[in-house]
Amino acid sequence: MKKKVVSLFLIGAMTAAMAAGCGSIETDSSSSSDASAEAAAGRDAYSEDIKIAFLPNVIGDSCAAAWAEGMESYLGSFENVTFDVYDGEASVDTEVQIMDELINQQYDAIILQATDAAGLAASADKAEAAGIPVITCNLDADTTHTALVAAVDIEAGEIIAREIGESTGGEGNVLIISATPGATKGEQIDAGFKQVLEEEYPNIEILDEQSGEWLTENANTVMTDFLTKYEDIDAVLCHNDAMAEGAAEAVNAAGREGIQIWGVDGESKMLDYIEQGLCTGTVYTDCREQGISCAQMAMFAIESGVTGRVMSETPVVKMAPIVVTADNLSEITEDMRW
Amino acid sequence: MRQENMRRIISVASLVIIMLIFGLTSDSFFTADNILNILRDCAVYGIIAIGVTFVIITAGIDLSTGAIVGVTGMLCANLLYYYNLSAGLIVLISILTGTICGMLNGFIVVKLRVPEFIATLSTQYLFRSMVFVFTIREMGVITNKRIENPAILLLGGRINGIYLVTMAFVLLAVIGQIILKKTKFGTYIYAAGANRKSAELSGINTDKVRWAAFIITGFLCGIAALFQIGRVGSVTTDLGNGWEFDVIAAVVIGGCAFSGGRGDVFGSTVGAIFMAVLQNGILKYNLPTAAQLVVKGIVIVLMIVFDAVYNNMMQKRIQQKAREEDAAEMAGGEA
Repeated sequence: MKKKVVSLFLIGAMTAAMAAGCGSIETDSSSSSDASAEAAAGRDAYSEDIKIAFLPNVIGDSCAAAWAEGMESYLGSFENVTFDVYDGEASVDTEVQIMDELINQQYDAIILQATDAAGLAASADKAEAAGIPVITCNLDADTTHTALVAAVDIEAGEIIAREIGESTGGEGNVLIISATPGATKGEQIDAGFKQVLEEEYPNIEILDEQSGEWLTENANTVMTDFLTKYEDIDAVLCHNDAMAEGAAEAVNAAGREGIQIWGVDGESKMLDYIEQGLCTGTVYTDCREQGISCAQMAMFAIESGVTGRVMSETPVVKMAPIVVTADNLSEITEDMRW
Repeated sequence: MRQENMRRIISVASLVIIMLIFGLTSDSFFTADNILNILRDCAVYGIIAIGVTFVIITAGIDLSTGAIVGVTGMLCANLLYYYNLSAGLIVLISILTGTICGMLNGFIVVKLRVPEFIATLSTQYLFRSMVFVFTIREMGVITNKRIENPAILLLGGRINGIYLVTMAFVLLAVIGQIILKKTKFGTYIYAAGANRKSAELSGINTDKVRWAAFIITGFLCGIAALFQIGRVGSVTTDLGNGWEFDVIAAVVIGGCAFSGGRGDVFGSTVGAIFMAVLQNGILKYNLPTAAQLVVKGIVIVLMIVFDAVYNNMMQKRIQQKAREEDAAEMAGGEA
């Protein structure tokens, strides 16, 4: 018993010792606000040794591959620049950990696709406070940082809603195969789509919405189920192309016709599906071009010293959306496909 | 040398070797900031690993820890956003929720006699689905909001460079180790895992002991969730996703045997640090991501295979020794 008391006393003493002398607890965000007033100084980004990191939500998808390819193609032209890609593993926790690591390794700029806007805000703050400009790619961080280079998401939903609205004469039944619940991109596409239908096409009814969790095979299962449940379907919105492809296969297998299938992204496989008449259309973004834009923003921020610390709001660069259907497929030339 | 000490030395030696490898090949490994980051990264998993150590020593397993963190964290975010509860209440609710989840796991395992693996795999689904029940929604759409409560955010902070979560981890690990090694309850935990029947015959209520191990794990998941919220400043639906595997890997690397009866919190702490060092060190090499994952996977597999081989070897040695003793006894009797 005496031993136990001594041990507990030692624990208490140890904790007290660790906390001793502390004025206050410092958080990642509080350290950033202290540093926010510091003046930014530029560097010669084209001759000094520069390290730039790209941290996408997950490296395994075609968008991320195309972004990285674009960034690499641009940054590869400068011998002084080292470019590294890290995998966010579709997890906020992993991205937060890697952000700490990148700050520790003193990268000169970080291009981040924030898995969650709120979740990566403190990390972006911390990096900016350490003098590292953060450029978000497509998915924003919920704090002021150097720049956001975004493909349209809300707008993509709006565009598809209008395409469906016009082609059906403002009447019909629509289904949604959505992203993994909670995924920001999916939420934004959904919000834009629903808002336009509600305001401009009130006679179009959303019959059902189920998650395909971004995956072709899950979307195929969901669509197969929809086809057995609903006789009268005019159009299906999928939050990405991969799911649209799965839905198209289900419709094809069931031998149903006259169902429009829309996706978002514009990956080359989807363009093939549109060409074959299996899918109706997609909202294409030139992801390679977007990657290049991110890399250019990073170099600009390093060169000029103009980072999130001197801004009151994050400046946004929006990529031009191109609605691709069978009619204008040829506009997306081979070199634009990813 | 006692088997336990031997295994402990091997765990610590593996950690030292891996740290030396990373330290000697990277300039940014042995920096103060990096070490503090590693100690921060290992702490949240480490806190959960303390509880899972108890469960694994009783020859059980808990696959629901990540999901408990998820549901606890999301409930806290929900209450903070919609009801603006005070930090004190949130801390209480978080710990209570984790504890209740652990209690449910224990109930299913002990009272309904469902094997731990199946029981906690099922509750993992249940808790993960509860995350979506508690999500914050705007116009029906799931939205993640930044947590504004300054007292909660302080949990992600540091004092004199040392993160609060690291301090909590050290404190809880010391308490966990004392409970395991110096109390009657700790002895029961080992007894329930080493040989459940014998333990029961000697009057130990192994059901109660195993149930308690799950409750402790849930309690610690509640604490871990609080620190993670403090660090990230928001809660997403994937909070805690897959954590259970990193936690179990840490516990096994630290020397706990799945067969039960072997291991301690000290070992699991070393295992948790090992996992954080591995993750941190690999990032230093700027390897292609696929290679990073392969290296991490190979190291974990090697460590776990080593543990299994070591375990078998020790088992054989103990049996051999017992046979020799029997033979000596018989020889003595005949003489």
